[in-house]
Amino acid sequence: MSEPAPIVLIVDDEIQIRRFLRTGLELNGFAVHEAGTGAEAIRAATLRPVDIVIVDLGLPDMDGSDVVERIRSWSTVPIIVLSVRSAEAQKVRLLEMGADDYVVKPFGIAELLARVRVALRRQSRAASGEPSVTVGPLTIDLASRTVILNGQRLTLTPKEYRLLQVLAQHAGNVVTHQHLLKEVWGSVHMQDTHYLRIFVRKLRQKIEPTPDSPKILVTELGVGYRLAHNSEAENGATAPATVG
Amino acid sequence: MSVTLSPRRLRQELRGILLTLGLVALVTVAIFTFVWYVGLTRGTIAYLVPVLIAAIRWGLIAALFASACGVAASAYFFFPPLYSFQIRDPQEVINLLLYIIVAVTVSQLASRLKRELEHSRRREIDLRDLYAFSRRIAVAFDVHEIQAAIEDHLTTVIQREVLLFASARDAAIAAEKRAGAALPRDVYARIAAIDASGAESQTDPAAANVTVSNGDVWLVRAVSPKNREFGVVAINLGKPSESSIDDMHVRVDAVLADATATLERLGIAQAINEARMRAETEQLREALIGSVSHELRTPLASILGAATVLSTAPALAAEPKLQALALDVRSEAERLNNDIQNLIDATRISSDTIKPRMEWADPADILDTALERCRKRLARHKVTLNLPQDLPLVHVDAVLVKQALVQVFDNAAKYSPPGSTITVAARARDGRMILNVSDEGAGLTEAELPRIWDRFARGGRTAMETSGSGLGLWIARSFIDANGGKMNAISDGPGRGMTMSIELPVPQAAIHTMENDQDE
Repeated sequence: MSEPAPIVLIVDDEIQIRRFLRTGLELNGFAVHEAGTGAEAIRAATLRPVDIVIVDLGLPDMDGSDVVERIRSWSTVPIIVLSVRSAEAQKVRLLEMGADDYVVKPFGIAELLARVRVALRRQSRAASGEPSVTVGPLTIDLASRTVILNGQRLTLTPKEYRLLQVLAQHAGNVVTHQHLLKEVWGSVHMQDTHYLRIFVRKLRQKIEPTPDSPKILVTELGVGYRLAHNSEAENGATAPATVG
Repeated sequence: MSVTLSPRRLRQELRGILLTLGLVALVTVAIFTFVWYVGLTRGTIAYLVPVLIAAIRWGLIAALFASACGVAASAYFFFPPLYSFQIRDPQEVINLLLYIIVAVTVSQLASRLKRELEHSRRREIDLRDLYAFSRRIAVAFDVHEIQAAIEDHLTTVIQREVLLFASARDAAIAAEKRAGAALPRDVYARIAAIDASGAESQTDPAAANVTVSNGDVWLVRAVSPKNREFGVVAINLGKPSESSIDDMHVRVDAVLADATATLERLGIAQAINEARMRAETEQLREALIGSVSHELRTPLASILGAATVLSTAPALAAEPKLQALALDVRSEAERLNNDIQNLIDATRISSDTIKPRMEWADPADILDTALERCRKRLARHKVTLNLPQDLPLVHVDAVLVKQALVQVFDNAAKYSPPGSTITVAARARDGRMILNVSDEGAGLTEAELPRIWDRFARGGRTAMETSGSGLGLWIARSFIDANGGKMNAISDGPGRGMTMSIELPVPQAAIHTMENDQDE
């Protein structure tokens, strides 16, 4: 590989988790740094350049969310949080704090790799100002404000476009209900999730080949929506084995 | 017989003496009348009447006074020398002796009668109270009711503030709630000491009195010296005299002996003990399941993660057998994780820590997410989805409903043969959203139908072929309940498949929103 390997900082107090993450990531062309505590993580992130941070929420010395907050206060490095099931409120809080995505424990390495790649791509797209996002048959051109499905230009209302635009800016990553409501309807309507539900349903009728089983605009129950990662949308069945 | 002259007693005696004086005067007038008109020479025997009346009504002192007055009056009015108190006639001395004997005997008899009457009256009240008490105990269902009954009974009988505690810990919490103020520290210390001392050690009655800083005397003792389960009782005696403390002790002893006998007869000690043990066991079990499942999940995350790394490792790509092993580790770890997750869910349900996070959700989204989660398990079944376009939104905890649906799909996949169809249908009707999941599988007999909701229920006819903890449907129903919904199972009989029906409430606002979703 000509490009330097992206550097991942793993923050987890479980040595076994760190070990399998390191092996899995290194096998897939990443360089890995490890930290066992929150303090160590913050030090590591300031001392060395890091391309992405993976933080476990249960750390011995401080809450994982503190680590997210501290790193986010000076850096835009992508952060992926390792969380447990049935903690949706916590996930929402972390995403609003600036985490880019979460993975529910226990997880397979493929699921984590997919999230890591999405987060890295978003970072590089933001840096290069790449103007369009393609998910399966759908292309969203952020520069010309057009949406093309199977080569056909779609007619969307301004709000429908705005919704798609916000999701496209975070393509592959989950966007919380509150964030979408604020961006599309304004901060007054941040609690009106039913607006969003109805809207998404209508939008899916326009953009999804099978609206009852959406593959492009994916629901993250209790958290938000995600514009599917390109490979996920193309061959719907490759979603990593999610357990838990 | 000790006579203490309390002001009340003094007043009573004085009243007796005055009335006696009146009676003697009355009798004197009567005798005079008889002597004057009838010509009776001597009617002094009539002075026995006031003596008798006084003895019966007003006691010994009044009776003796009546005797003295009678003799004095007869000496003055009827025995020579007239109008002088001089006693010459031996008849007068005999009269005096006679009166005194009558006075003493009758007043003793009368007072004994009165005491017996009083005693039997009190006994009757006590018995009535005790009867009411035992009736209340007999219908009491838990320890608290029994303790409240003992407390009330003691309060009625002793007429003092009575507090009963199951234990010293209970005393610390309950005293404030019930007495309105904290229990005096000395009293609390005493309760703790009794509670801590073994069940066999007899409570020393002398040490049971605790005098607190404001001068009140508290009586603190175990309800039963033999059975510590009956609790500790604390009675505020106020500021009593020495003798009334003893009296109170006797009464408390009597009541508690009765109460203890009743409690023992009804086997309350055992019941209390069993209830306590049951509660403790249940708590321990839940805690154990909870902590064990959390402990298990941590290493499982490593196992599962490592297995996924191994199964995709390039080094294993050329070793299909080894790769298959790695995949086995991974799928078994996933199964184990599901079981552990079920145990954790079950613990959350039984410990009542499920707090639904209600939000507006599209039922189609919930169904799709649940199907997505079960895709692997449903891979060998045909799934048909039958959703109308205008489904109303529901206001639920979407994650809980999804997890319930996952259990339902899992169940359908488990109990219906590969290749058969699982039909998912949704419709809104009468303010309810109904989600039906129908399979073409084993179905249920009449007898099996109600049993599927039990914890650890397993399909009897199919238990050998299927795996699982039997928690699934119980969890599903609890989750749906938590969302204000209902879950039902319908089956036409064994071998004819079954339909799981989930009903969720649709708030009126949802329908309203559907009509108003204008863009811009």
